[in-house]
Amino acid sequence: MAANTDLSTRTRVLGRPWVPWAAAGLVIVLMIVLPLILPEFANQTIARIGVFAVAVLGLNVVMGYTGQVSLGQIFFVGVGAYVTAFGVNADWNIVLIFVLACLVPAVIGLLIALAAARLGGLAIAMVTIALPIVGVPLAKRLSDFTGGSQGTSARFSSAPEWTGLYDDQWQLYIVFLIGGITFLLTRNLVRGKYGRAFAIVKNNEAVAGSMGISPYRYKVLAFTIASLIGGVSGFLYMVVIQYTSPETLNFGHSIELLAAMVIGGAGSIIGSLLGGVWYVIVPYVTGIIDPNITALLQGAILLIVLFILPGGLVSLPRLWRRRGRDAGRGGGVLGDDGQPDAAASVTGTPTVGDALGAPSAGGPSKPSPPPPTTQS
Amino acid sequence: MGTFIQLVIDGLSTGSIYAALALAIVLVNQATGLINFAQGGMAVLSAYIAWVLNGFGIPLLLAILAAVVISFFLGAVIERFLIRRFEGGDPDTAVVATIGLLTLITGLCAWIWTYNNRLFPSLFPLETVQIAGAVISVRSLGTIVVIVAIMLLLQALFLGTKLGLALRAVAINPASAAFSGVNVGRNLMVGWGLAAVLGAVAGVLVAPQLTLTPGMMDSALVYALAACILGGLSSPIGVVVAAWLIGVLENLAAVYVPFIGHDLKIAVPFILIFVVLIVRPQGLFGRKAVVRV
Repeated sequence: MAANTDLSTRTRVLGRPWVPWAAAGLVIVLMIVLPLILPEFANQTIARIGVFAVAVLGLNVVMGYTGQVSLGQIFFVGVGAYVTAFGVNADWNIVLIFVLACLVPAVIGLLIALAAARLGGLAIAMVTIALPIVGVPLAKRLSDFTGGSQGTSARFSSAPEWTGLYDDQWQLYIVFLIGGITFLLTRNLVRGKYGRAFAIVKNNEAVAGSMGISPYRYKVLAFTIASLIGGVSGFLYMVVIQYTSPETLNFGHSIELLAAMVIGGAGSIIGSLLGGVWYVIVPYVTGIIDPNITALLQGAILLIVLFILPGGLVSLPRLWRRRGRDAGRGGGVLGDDGQPDAAASVTGTPTVGDALGAPSAGGPSKPSPPPPTTQS
Repeated sequence: MGTFIQLVIDGLSTGSIYAALALAIVLVNQATGLINFAQGGMAVLSAYIAWVLNGFGIPLLLAILAAVVISFFLGAVIERFLIRRFEGGDPDTAVVATIGLLTLITGLCAWIWTYNNRLFPSLFPLETVQIAGAVISVRSLGTIVVIVAIMLLLQALFLGTKLGLALRAVAINPASAAFSGVNVGRNLMVGWGLAAVLGAVAGVLVAPQLTLTPGMMDSALVYALAACILGGLSSPIGVVVAAWLIGVLENLAAVYVPFIGHDLKIAVPFILIFVVLIVRPQGLFGRKAVVRV
């Protein structure tokens, strides 16, 4: 009975309208406090994660939510970075630079999407693969604008005097601010009218068309938004890394970004964040283990994660809960969230007795119905 | 005029390499509906195997044949134990699985053989012949002949044998094929094996030219994918013609269009694709896919 009360209290508390606001407040407080107390290396790593989480988020809009595989996302990140570098070195206003760093990739993305979205399914993947491949020699060729093979650097994100902050703290605040707003806007976009249209286009283009939702138009829209978010990521890239070269838009990075998105969780906002974490942390970890086999380890880890978690890291809690529930039913062991216990006590079957009576079997004698998600 | 003919023949030769890889991609795509981004990586691994066998003193031709056979089984094993897990699931996950495979194989080659360039002996003599005033290398001609012969063999296999019939049945409708007593799983393995063989041939043919490195086939893969879009994923002949077209056009553009030059010639197929997409979205030879609701 105690567990029962516990469960209902929990749902009552979680259902309260102030809970999401409190959670958001907590996150904001953490975002303000953490940069001040963490060491420099941690701040830089988190800032990098932020940069690539935004890039993965953009990829998620076109791929996770709209179902169009894009291998060109890193190209838009690169364009955003180059525009930022060029603007800074030409002494333009920083706001103008930011707007351009978003708009230029968006316009390029729009033009490409107008042609590429005519293709269905995986064919878009094969068109967008061209972007980083053509981008690298193009960046080398346009050396007046890009600095050629040497690349170009732009220092504009040093902390202003009046703040008294260190550079890494200031940069992390910029990433938190711009990245946070981008995540919030994207979350609203994919949960609203446009998000539903994207989902229908992803599931069945014919149905979308019959409902008056033009698959072509929404694919172009999703691709353009993804390019725009890629540009935001490019701007943040210059804030944090302050240097870009043709190597930035290397094809390898583009497929790593795609892998990070699927590993994090396709079609998920939290998944984008996890994807950013993956993108930054895994090469670092494999580099520590053995620099000679970095690529080998990355490929192996990627395949193992896909084998165990086809839905990405974001599906881990769900899997965990299901495991816990199965264990709770089979051996009377409590799941980590205590739900099996609660479910059992609702129907009046004492869990301990069940465990003693039928320790091995999944309980055909047990009267309680299985939790609904167990079999799915 | 001599230069022009030479450029065309060289273009056909590199185009043949792309064609072999593109055919492998089409083969896998027709059978399993996914794009195998690891096809180039598998080809590189096959080329390394041939190189190692040749290093043991086995004559080059035999070493290549052995590598081709090993590649067949490797392809089948990869399908059975890796890709089958993702077939019928979310296609995005399957694509990323092949990307993971690409990273894994490239990493494996780099780990065993390092990133240093290895010289791969050529199957053909390094001589040239004079045809209509053009100096043409025997290697280019040989490459074209080998690829054309393999394509004819493949066509004969698909149209003239029982195995080919079963492979086509599995590709068109796995469920119906299974009901008719066709072993779908085994045929998928054979399909992947054949694709790996095509890749292996492309790998050993291109290795003498580019020298053997783990990333050798990366740009060839991109060209092959371009050929797949241009020719239409459903048409093997279209893909081959498209691959030749890409090979020839990029060679000509590199020499005759000053802005493009050799560094930007990789853009040529994609400009071509853009033009084609606006006129014929299903590719030059592809059929328009009709999806039933």
